[in-house]
Formats: sequence, C-alpha cells, structure tokens
Amino acid sequence: MGDEPILVVDDDATILSAVAELLDLEGYPLTTATNGAEALQVVARGRPRLVLLDMRMPVLDGWGFARVARDAGHQLRIITMSAAQDARRWVEEIGAAGHVAKPFEVDELLTEVRRVLEEPA
Amino acid sequence: MRAEELFQHLAEGLYVAIFVAVLVGALRRLTRVRLDLVLFFGDAALIVIASTLVRALSILPVVAVTDLETALLMALPYLLLRLVGDFMAVPAWLMRGAELGLLVAVVLLVVPAPLPLPLTLVLVAYFVGLSLYAALAFWRGARRSSGVTRRRFQAVALGSGFLGLDILVAGLGAALPAQADLWGVLGPLCGMASGLAYVLGFTPPTWLRRAWQEPEVRAFLGRAATLPHLPDTHAIVAELERGAAAATGGSGATIGLFDEHADALRFFDASPQRAHAPVGVPAGGEGFQRTPEGWRLAASARAISARALRERRVLLAEDVAREDPANAAAYAAYGATAALAAPITAGQKRLGVLVVYAPRAPLFADSDLELVQLLADQAAVILESRTLLDAAAAAQARAEAGRLKEDFLSSAAHDLKTPIAGILAQAQVLQRQLDQHPGDPRAPTGLARIVREARRLRALVLELLDASLLDQGRLLSTRESVDLVEVASAVCARYARGPVPCRVEAAEAVVGWLDPARVRQLIEHLIDNAIRFSPPGAEVVVRLWREADAARLDVVDRGIGIPPEDVPRLFERFHRGANVDDRRFAGLGLGLYLSRGIAEAHGGRIWATSTPDGGSTFSVRLPLQARPTAAAPAPAAGRAWTNG
Repeated sequence: MGDEPILVVDDDATILSAVAELLDLEGYPLTTATNGAEALQVVARGRPRLVLLDMRMPVLDGWGFARVARDAGHQLRIITMSAAQDARRWVEEIGAAGHVAKPFEVDELLTEVRRVLEEPA
Repeated sequence: MRAEELFQHLAEGLYVAIFVAVLVGALRRLTRVRLDLVLFFGDAALIVIASTLVRALSILPVVAVTDLETALLMALPYLLLRLVGDFMAVPAWLMRGAELGLLVAVVLLVVPAPLPLPLTLVLVAYFVGLSLYAALAFWRGARRSSGVTRRRFQAVALGSGFLGLDILVAGLGAALPAQADLWGVLGPLCGMASGLAYVLGFTPPTWLRRAWQEPEVRAFLGRAATLPHLPDTHAIVAELERGAAAATGGSGATIGLFDEHADALRFFDASPQRAHAPVGVPAGGEGFQRTPEGWRLAASARAISARALRERRVLLAEDVAREDPANAAAYAAYGATAALAAPITAGQKRLGVLVVYAPRAPLFADSDLELVQLLADQAAVILESRTLLDAAAAAQARAEAGRLKEDFLSSAAHDLKTPIAGILAQAQVLQRQLDQHPGDPRAPTGLARIVREARRLRALVLELLDASLLDQGRLLSTRESVDLVEVASAVCARYARGPVPCRVEAAEAVVGWLDPARVRQLIEHLIDNAIRFSPPGAEVVVRLWREADAARLDVVDRGIGIPPEDVPRLFERFHRGANVDDRRFAGLGLGLYLSRGIAEAHGGRIWATSTPDGGSTFSVRLPLQARPTAAAPAPAAGRAWTNG
C-alpha cells in the first residue's frame, strides 16, 4: 500500500465535502475534483489508489472520464456513486470495481472502499 | 328525298326519341320536373305523329287533324314555360298571360275560317316570344351553374331558341311567300337543330356527360389533394363543403360526420372557416341536438342526410321542406328547396354524408346525383386518409408524452435523492467527527451544509406539490390587493450584490386583486430564471406597466436564449430546454409550468420571446380584477386603488 490518494469526484459540494471528511477521519489520503475534466488532470499528475466517481456531472461526466482515462492507458479502480436507477448497469459499462447507490450510509461506502482496496489490483 | 325533308324527319325522330326517354324516366319515378318534361315532349311527339300520319296516308289534310296539330303546336311554348318555372321563378303575370294566350290561340284556330295574316303574325309573335324567353331563362340557368348542369342548360337554351326560330320562319313564310324556297330549307334546319340540342340537353349520352363533368371533378380533386394536411378536421370539412358547392353549382353544401358510438351525424358549428352555421342544420330543429362541437343528428332522423346514411345511397329531395316538415323553417332560412345527399363511405365503413342544397329542384337530377356521389366518394378518400394521419399523430403524441413523463420521473427521483444523499452522508460524518474529536472545528460547516441541503430538498418537494395542486386546479388560495411593482422590487433587491444585477422599471404602482404568495412565486421564478441563465455582468430588467384592465410584466435577460424549437413547449409540464444543462440549474424543471399555471389561474397568460444567444423575454399579462365588494371587508382608508 502506497501513499497514493483516493480521488473523490462529485459536482455536489455537500457530498464531495462529506465523503472527503469521512475518508480523512478514516486516515485515507485523498484528493478531490468537481467534474470529470478536473479528475483527469488529477489522474495525469499521478495514479490514485481508487476513484470514487459520481456519474452525472457537468463538463465531463463519469462515463467520459472513465473512457478518456482508459484510452490514455490509466488502469483505474473505480467505485461509482450514483442516485440513478441504471447505476448497476453502468458499473459494467465502465468496468468499475464497485458501486454505492445514493443516498448511502457512510458505513456502506467505507465497506465498499475497503473491499475494493483489498482486491488484488 | 330532298335535304329539307331529311332534316324534317330527323328533327321529328329526335323529338319522339326524347319523348320516349323522358316517359321512361317519369314512369320510374314521377316528379314535377319529369311530368313537365313528358308534357312538353309528349306534345311535340303528338304533333310529329299527327303530321306523319297525314303524310303517310297521303290523305288531304283533314280539318280536325290539322286543327289538333295546330293547337298542340301552340301549347308548346306554354309547356316550355312550365318547365322553366320548375327551376327558376317565372313571374306570375307571365304564366297567366301565357295561359290566356294559349286559350285565345286555340279558340281562334278552331274557328273554321282562314285567319287574317295580322292575326297569324300575332300568334307567331306569341310563340316566338315565349320560346325566346325560355331560351334566355335557360341561358341564365347555365350561367348560375357549372359542369354538366351548365352544358345541359346551354343545350336546352339553344334548343328553345331554335324552336322559336322554327316558328318565326313559319310566320315569315306566311308573310313573305315569295321566298318560299328559303323558308322551306330554313324551317326544317331550325327544327333539326332544336331537336339535336334538346337531345344533348335532356338525354345526353354517358360519354358526353363524363366529358362535361371532368373539369369540375378535376378542379375538386386538385383542391382536395392537399386537404389531409390541413391543421384540423374542421378545416378539411369546410374546404370539402366549399369544393362540393362549387363543383355542383349548388347554393351550399354540408358534410355530416358519422359518429359510430353515438349512432349520429355530427355537423361542425360555425368555425373560422365558416361564418355561419352549415346550411340545412337548423337551430334546434327536430332531431338536431346542440353539442359543444356543433350539431348532432340521430342517424334515425327524418332529415335527408340521416336517410342517405341509413340507406347507403344517393338521395334527391326536390322539396326538402315537404319531406322533413319539422325543419322547414330552417331550410327556408338557408334558401334550400332541393337537396341531394350522398353517403360518404370507405368500404363498409360509414364516414358521413355530403348534402348539397339548391334553391330549386334540379332540372337534371340524374347528372347532379351522379356528381354528388362522385364527390362524396372523393371526400371519403380524403377523410379516411386524414383519420389515418390523425391516428398516427395521436399515437406518436402519446408515446412522446409517456417518454417525457418517464424521463421526468427518473430525473425527479435523481434530483430528490441528491440532497438526501448529502444530508445523510454529512450528518453521519458529523456524528463520527464529534465521536472522535468532540468540538471538531469542521462541525459548524457540516451543519450549515445539512441545513442548505434540507432547504434544497424542501424546495424540490414544494415544487412537486405545487405541480400536483395545479393539476387539481387548487393553485390559488387567498386573494389580496397586491402591488406587483413592490413584489418585483423586493425580489430584485435580493440580487443587488450578485454577479447579475436586477432592475425594475415601472412608472406607477400596478395593483391587482391577486394571490400574493403565488404572484410572488411567479415573479421570483421568472427573475431567478433570468439571472440564472445570464452571464456575469449582464443585467436583468423587469418592466411593469398597466395595459387596459391588466398588468403587464416583462422580464428581459441577456442570457443563453431559447432555441426557437423549444419556445412553443417551454411551458409544458415535463419539458426542459435542449440547451439547459440541468445539473447546473437546480430544480425539477417545473418552474415555467407552474408559472403558466399561476398566470392562467388568475385568468392571465404567459409567453416567451427569444433570439438564441441574444437573451430572452418572458412576458406575463394578468387581469387586475376588481376587489369583490361583498366578499371582502372594506379597504382600509388611504389604501384605495383604482382599477380602470
């Protein structure tokens, strides 16, 4: 386990802050982005351990981010966070490692984060 | 045989042939017109037979036979006048005069003494005058009609003219016996021409009838080809009625559409296309029933339209008022004496009835019935294709509405979940922070976020509830005296320090009796919207003024504008603009739908004008209703307002 941060991407300020504070409390290093384009800039600077990714965002959405990152050769572990009905299907579409449905319990999110991080990369 | 003899025989043969044809027609179904035709041509045929007998038997003219022949001849113009009277008004004095003249002529001729020449000439003048009058009358009939009817009228006019000439020649022969050769040729020539013209007029061969009919049918079809694309069935029916009236030369035409469920015919009421109620649809006459869409007539009624529908065949009523006496006054009001009704059917399916009205019984009913049925068949094609188009459009609209609703529901669910997710996550994180570090400095920020998200959620839920109230028609609650300028200024003031300032332009207070909360909501929404879609530094201007007894409000922005294709649907329930990124602009997108609801609940309206990328203007017109004097307590002193 290195010190690579977890990247949290969400355009909703409250959710972004809450998730960031939660991971901070749990001792995970983290970085944030408010849309897919910002997230790509973060990824370009260094590969995150994990990406917590909202799907519906302005500028560049979750799909766009996942596709561009994959095309650029980044091997990313992604957990999608979405309120949409079709979110389960999207997990497969973008090859995500996990999913939490909004609104989620923070324990749910932490369990999913730990599960994905324990999987061999 | 000499040429003039040939002409003579030919003319005689033609008259006898027409007599046989009209006799057969009259025996099939006797009408007044047919009876008069039989009388006229029967008279002519008798003359022919009498003279032929005299010639064939080579007997010297028997006085009795000659007298009979002459009497019959003198009756011809009178009978012709009767025929004219069947389709147009002949002055009563003329009719009586003709009868008297006929009587005098017969008496004079039967007196066994050769007539002095002047008297003969008077009789000739009587005959020629009446024939020429008939010829002119038929010619006028031709000018008022079209198609086959016009041609047939023209032929009959020519026939009558030649008949008059024939007798004129006979008169000239008596007056100027020196030119006997000339008269001997001219007389039979005129006789033959008159016979030929009458054949064409009264018994035209089918091929000729078709050829005469073609231009009218072609014109009707030309107009009809584009009809199914007219905006509504009203417009199509009105256009078909116009076309049918023009093609038949009738005074008017009405189409009743068959409503299978109600087993009734529906007649459209006065529409923009039609200035008055359809001809033959009486105001509340027997069998007719007023409905919001127009008139309804039970399929079992006595009116000719219902009968044609029931019997599935083209019908003629020479006197509609007599056949349907209960509605006589209504027919008279439209100047309709005769009516032709043809069922409009597509296969076994009954679509309706086409009724053509005329001020007089048609002289050539057979041609007219044929044409009306032909037009009804074309109308069937048009109405049927319109029905198919309508059904396809309705199905498409239903599918579109369903899709929009689904999109809305899934998007609304998503929008509601987002603040809940924020509140839930933030509250739980706060719990953990305070568990681990009581007095965590991040706690107040977290709490503020929770309050913000809870407010956002409340706004969304209220928006949904308002939409539901609107659908139930319960949007407005109380009414008070509201100054719109005051409301707009208060809303604008909230944005004073924002990146997009808001300015109110009003010359005077605009006060009305309105629901204060809803009007505020409406103004808030429009200003909010304008500011949200404006780039920083732009300005939103709210203009308020009074227009007659209404308030006018314009909210003008220099924002992203509205694509023209979106403008008509802007205020629809589930609509979001194509250029609106709904993540950036919070809310369920019901704002404009609610705004329209508020404006309309006050009896007003709302609309938008836009130049894409040049900003938009949202306009509202609200009637400034007077404060009801009885319903509310008297206004406080000094707070009176005028209401125009």
